[in-house]
Amino acid sequence: MSGRARRILFLAQIALCVLLVAAVLIPVFLSSMPWPLSARDYLQANGLAESGASNLVSAIYLGYRAFDTLGETIVLLVAISGTIAIIAHGGAVLAQGYGLPSGTASEPARHLPPKTRTELLEVVTGKLGPVVLVFGVYVMMYGHLSPGGGFQGGVVIASGIVFLALGSRVDASNSLTSPENLVRIESAAFALLLLAASSGIISGSGFFGNPLAGAGLTPVAFIITLNAIIGLKVGAGLGFMCIAMLGRGK
Amino acid sequence: MLERILILLLFLIGFAGIVGMRNIIKKIFGLTIINSAVVLLFIVEGSRIGNSAPIIDAEIGLVVDPVPQALMLTAIVIGVCVTALALALAFRLYKAYGSFDIDEIHRQVHRES
Amino acid sequence: MKFTGRFTVSPESSVFSLVMLPLLGAALVMLAKAFLKGRMAAGMQFTAMLVGLFGPWLALLYTFPLVWSGLTVEGVIGNWSGVVGITFQFDGLAWLINALGYTVAGAAWIYSLGAGPRGPVFSSVFLIQTAALAATAMTADIFNLFVCLEVLGIASYVLVASSEKNGAFLASFSYLMVSASSMVFFLAGLFGLYRLTGSLSYSGISQALLALPDQGGGLAAISLSLIIAAVAMRVAMMPLYGWLPDAHALAPHAVSAVLSGVLIKTPLFALSRIMLIVPLGAAAAQLLGYAGAATAIVAVLVALSQKDAKRLLAYHSISQIGYVVCAWGAALDLGMDTMAGQHLMTAAFLHAFYHALFKGLLFLSIGTSTDRAGSRNVYTLRGAASTLRQSGERLPITLLSFIIAALAISAIPPLNGYASKIAITYSLKGSWQYWVLSAASIGTIASFIKLSRIFWPQPARIRLMATEEPSAVFMPSVATARHSGLPAQIVPGPMTDTSAVKRANLPVGISQAMLALACVASGLAAPWLYGFVLRLLDSAASLGFTSLNPGPALYTADNLLKTLYMVLAGFVLFRLAVSALGSRLLSLVRDRHRGFHGLFLSFAVGLSVLCVWLLLV
Repeated sequence: MSGRARRILFLAQIALCVLLVAAVLIPVFLSSMPWPLSARDYLQANGLAESGASNLVSAIYLGYRAFDTLGETIVLLVAISGTIAIIAHGGAVLAQGYGLPSGTASEPARHLPPKTRTELLEVVTGKLGPVVLVFGVYVMMYGHLSPGGGFQGGVVIASGIVFLALGSRVDASNSLTSPENLVRIESAAFALLLLAASSGIISGSGFFGNPLAGAGLTPVAFIITLNAIIGLKVGAGLGFMCIAMLGRGK
Repeated sequence: MLERILILLLFLIGFAGIVGMRNIIKKIFGLTIINSAVVLLFIVEGSRIGNSAPIIDAEIGLVVDPVPQALMLTAIVIGVCVTALALALAFRLYKAYGSFDIDEIHRQVHRES
Repeated sequence: MKFTGRFTVSPESSVFSLVMLPLLGAALVMLAKAFLKGRMAAGMQFTAMLVGLFGPWLALLYTFPLVWSGLTVEGVIGNWSGVVGITFQFDGLAWLINALGYTVAGAAWIYSLGAGPRGPVFSSVFLIQTAALAATAMTADIFNLFVCLEVLGIASYVLVASSEKNGAFLASFSYLMVSASSMVFFLAGLFGLYRLTGSLSYSGISQALLALPDQGGGLAAISLSLIIAAVAMRVAMMPLYGWLPDAHALAPHAVSAVLSGVLIKTPLFALSRIMLIVPLGAAAAQLLGYAGAATAIVAVLVALSQKDAKRLLAYHSISQIGYVVCAWGAALDLGMDTMAGQHLMTAAFLHAFYHALFKGLLFLSIGTSTDRAGSRNVYTLRGAASTLRQSGERLPITLLSFIIAALAISAIPPLNGYASKIAITYSLKGSWQYWVLSAASIGTIASFIKLSRIFWPQPARIRLMATEEPSAVFMPSVATARHSGLPAQIVPGPMTDTSAVKRANLPVGISQAMLALACVASGLAAPWLYGFVLRLLDSAASLGFTSLNPGPALYTADNLLKTLYMVLAGFVLFRLAVSALGSRLLSLVRDRHRGFHGLFLSFAVGLSVLCVWLLLV
């Protein structure tokens, strides 16, 4: 088969593929069935009373469907450790050893030529870093009232950490941007999350139930706690990944 | 209707990218695009039944459906995680074979085995 | 007789400890990595693995009386409202899937202690994967199923890549792209179902669909087929299996065992929960059953043509899952409230379970043998048995394991594969699937005769090969064999150390012996196990089996004679396959190059066929 014929065959296969998928998806994407009201009506009527969170998305995310959120943080956890193991270490972390990527394998450091570290970048990010961190904590803690939540707050915190790391001098690093501490925060937050999730079992309110329901703690307190833990975990995890990719995973 | 058609087109563009592009980075872009298309679809369609954000307040009309928003929050994060892992794999493949071209990588892997 | 709504603490907490214990183990592994150093860290990691992989057995024991008496632990997680909350359902099926998962995961972990991979990232990801299996088995919420499948997926991409072969990165990448894209289609299907029903729980969806005029019509059919196709991709059935051979062949052996043994079956049985109750579920299952029969025969032919030992095993996984899907589809088609459906589902689960045991054993024993011998080529490798002996294995555990597992997969009495294949074919007798599956069994026998040749002693030819192929690390002298326990070419990295290999032998032997014993024991106890599984599965449909039903008679003259004929036919097929013409034909099958886009083309075709099928019925 000549190169040209092969090319045409290839294109024909692609076209067939896309056409078939389009034919299947058109009725789904273009459907004009009325959107169901049952869940919205139920939540608008009872959501605040049942969960205590006026942000209904948070109420679902960490209340009604908190188990999904646990799954999601686990996906993030696996993705972070997998990505770091694959990139920074060429997979050697997977095969053996404890501790963190050692300096020799941190190739990506060289992809960031020194000239990109301008004075401007260092000053701006160094000064903005703490502000971003504070904002992240705000987003994290007020997720039950306003748009935001643990995950979103955690991502902002992670960018704050990256700002701090970019802002500091090449070799200087403070305790917040040091990978060891970030890994510690992340693993401790993960353990805390699991404990919080199963604490309801011990107190009798069931798996992922509000553990202190009997003692007068409203569900919203539990949601805030989960928000804080998830924020810490996501912030530390993503921050660690970014710093490892910056080549500071020492 | 128009926005649904556009979202469908977005999805198909992404899918064509996954299948047809030879560069694996572009394939990963395609994956991100189809993921975003479905997320958009959920959010756009779920917001048709109300006109204020799902944050309960004293005087508020009908809110949009919060369920799709919460679900998509999860789906977005999962999508990002999968993308990150895919990019890491692409990086390793590039280091091993010096190319992002899927056919070239296939050829070299085939030769190795 | 069902637990609904509020119930006492104990059943629910024990059910969720099946998910939480492995996760807790993963958290402990990570804490150990972050806070401890050296021996302390290793000790804590070991403890965490014990807690995570063997602790759940306590919970399984504890919940057993419940499911045995036909109760289902079900409810909404966190006791939230069922309108939005996540419902779960722990019944006999979930119990059985968990038992299957923890058996294989435990054995694979013991193997990995000896042969790698080790280390905190592997351990935590492995535990997370096991937890996700348990969660998948009992979810009754469609979005939660999506999350569980994504956790399973991402863990397995990382585990496949952890073998550190360059090819494994490509395998992992292809697997990731195909399965992540199919999960986006799953979401699109979920969108369709939510739009129609406004509900996410299986029962809510099916009730709302039944209440709709025309039961949801075309949109319901298409949405359902999107979801089923995405799960079928994970199960690797007929048109959608392209990603599997590379991923399973290139993963570390312990991971291959879990991937083939458990990971491709759990989504299938989890899917049966929703297929049983939605309209059109039975019709879809019927088509999947047909595809399963086709998978069984096609994959076995491709397997027969392979030259890489592990890839051959990977194709056999596809073929055997074809048996399972065939029986499973027929069972769902008949409905679980019929006697025949119950029997077929029992046969499907038993075959899945036995396959997990013998395929796990095959991956471990072939992995050990090929690592020690330094080659995986079925056509050139010979004398692996003596290589194993020289590498310090005084009891030929690996060889015996291989023999037991190969006999089991070829359905030779009295091993477990015989019992489950008899059970499947007995229930399907008279249909065309019966003949297809019998033909596939002949192919299985032929290809295991071919694979077993690597153990045949042919020293003269080996030397020849060694000089012919200078690239292969293959010199069966005592000196090399001793330190080439895991030659650099196969497993690069730190494990080529002599002492490590010597220590390695013990866990490797133990895990293989465990699985081999399990294969023999489950073969001998097959009638009893049949009754056991039948009764546990019945808890969902309540037909009321009170005494243990031993299933179809195993050792009748008919069955034994048929086995004899099949073995003879297998020999003939094997001779044909290694003849000049046969091997040329097979090499055509083997070298057929399906590019990356082929994976998606087959997905698109499979999806649209399923769609058309559901729209037409």
